[in-house]
Amino acid sequence: MKAEKEGYDIVTSVFFALTFVGLTLIVFPQIVVLLTSFNSTPELAFPPKGLSLKWYRHMIEREAFFHSVKLSLLLATLATVASLVISFLFSLAVVRHKFFGRDLINALILSPLIIPEVVSGLALLYIFNRLQLYNTTVNLLILHILLTLPYSVRVISATLYRFDVSLEEAALSLGADRLRTFALITVPLIRPGLISAAVFSFVVSFNNFTATMFIVTRQTTLPVEVFSYIRTENDPTVAAISSVFVILTILLILVNRKRIGARDLSGDRTARK
Amino acid sequence: MRYQKTHRLPYLLILPGLAFLAFFFSAMWALLVISFCKADELGFISYAFTFSQYQKFFTDPFYLGYLIRSLHVSFLSTLAVLVIGYPTAYLMVRSTSTIRVLIMIILLVHFLSSYVMRMYGIMLFIGNNGIINRFFEYFGILNAPIRMMYSELGVGIGLATGSLAFVVFSVSSVLEGIDWTVEEAALSLGASRKRIFFEIILPLSLPGVASGFIISFLYNLSSFVTPALLGGGAFDMVSNFIYEQAVELLNYPFASSGAFVLLFISLFIVFLTNKVSEHMIKGVPKQG
Repeated sequence: MKAEKEGYDIVTSVFFALTFVGLTLIVFPQIVVLLTSFNSTPELAFPPKGLSLKWYRHMIEREAFFHSVKLSLLLATLATVASLVISFLFSLAVVRHKFFGRDLINALILSPLIIPEVVSGLALLYIFNRLQLYNTTVNLLILHILLTLPYSVRVISATLYRFDVSLEEAALSLGADRLRTFALITVPLIRPGLISAAVFSFVVSFNNFTATMFIVTRQTTLPVEVFSYIRTENDPTVAAISSVFVILTILLILVNRKRIGARDLSGDRTARK
Repeated sequence: MRYQKTHRLPYLLILPGLAFLAFFFSAMWALLVISFCKADELGFISYAFTFSQYQKFFTDPFYLGYLIRSLHVSFLSTLAVLVIGYPTAYLMVRSTSTIRVLIMIILLVHFLSSYVMRMYGIMLFIGNNGIINRFFEYFGILNAPIRMMYSELGVGIGLATGSLAFVVFSVSSVLEGIDWTVEEAALSLGASRKRIFFEIILPLSLPGVASGFIISFLYNLSSFVTPALLGGGAFDMVSNFIYEQAVELLNYPFASSGAFVLLFISLFIVFLTNKVSEHMIKGVPKQG
């Protein structure tokens, strides 16, 4: 760091200390979870009393977890595909065309980010009951598409704003038709944006809890199942599940590291130019 | 002919998105309508306009308590997150690539993992049987466990860690856009590091602080998981009230009045923060 050249610097030291506190609060519980998952006793012990894989076995053997993972994966996959298609078409209109009500509709599609999840969950629960729509999977899918749309619209719009339209024009003027131009020029150029939107949508849907909690019935998703397990049981099976998913998340990030940037995660609610 | 076609195209493109929005906002409208209605014990709603739900919410200290608790703990935890998150963002932007990548990966793993499972980690960390208490117990430092869970402190710690990544990413995206040659210019003119930070860098990064404040505050205010797990019923917040009224007591009108109170307070916080930060930024000379 540059600051070190100037010798003792109070601002940098304080910053390092605070950052350390923050990162400890994030990393340390996760390490405790990982260690607990190998604990041989159901109670947390310090120092650990013995190693065992029984919580991992319990995790695999418990059918409720298996079914909820299946539903979560199905929902996340369908919601991601739907969200990408809808957002791509939507962003194309918003970025490349001027039309009546453009700014309003763009603000509205991003609004589920500001509307508290309990409110959207409750609104959908009420309307599904009123319209007597009782198919849990379809209801959850509608909710998850709504919740993932803001993320994918933001990422895809940002990619389209950076897109150089003259590349498409060049292809068209060289004799390629619209379809060929789209498949060979447009899609490959915006692919990084599409992938990062897909990762976000998948994760948002897969992890969603609060709004989902309102819509689930006997069929539950993994976060809801984990939540009720924590509240009713008192053993480290959840530690095992959590460890498995954190390791999967780390792998996902290492594979996609170049594609996901802080920029896409930032709270700025407007698409960047 | 061609002119008309290009004119209609954007509307065709937004149609699927518009359909979802229309469905969602009609649901919101229906919810707003019933928040002005009344329900009997069995949950049947009588459609007569009344303010009674809102009146009950704001006059009964029991119900108002949910709101006050939520605002109090969210505000405090958001301030804590800003104090911790700003330096983290600063170091992430200004450090060498190793520290930068390390902070980035830690935050991303955190951001992308399930909120419920993260709160489970906090439970194992600060609970009465958690690692901190077990550690003190083992070394005989404490006779009785420190009670952090089932109180405002426990919920606050949970909320703070839960929203840290939002603040860091909001602040870092603004810090990345700062022209850092201003720092060198100030240094060469003899300003101290402390002065440079407080008089140049911090004012320039205020928009990021404001958006981090908004996101973290709103996110914490409507938290359901954290009070349910770390508060254990002793520190329920507005979201827990809404869930209980709607799903357990089937009182949709009362639940939706709570929902709209929460929504309007959220919008008001967005409005107020933007106004305050605009006012503060006015004094800052534009870059470039």
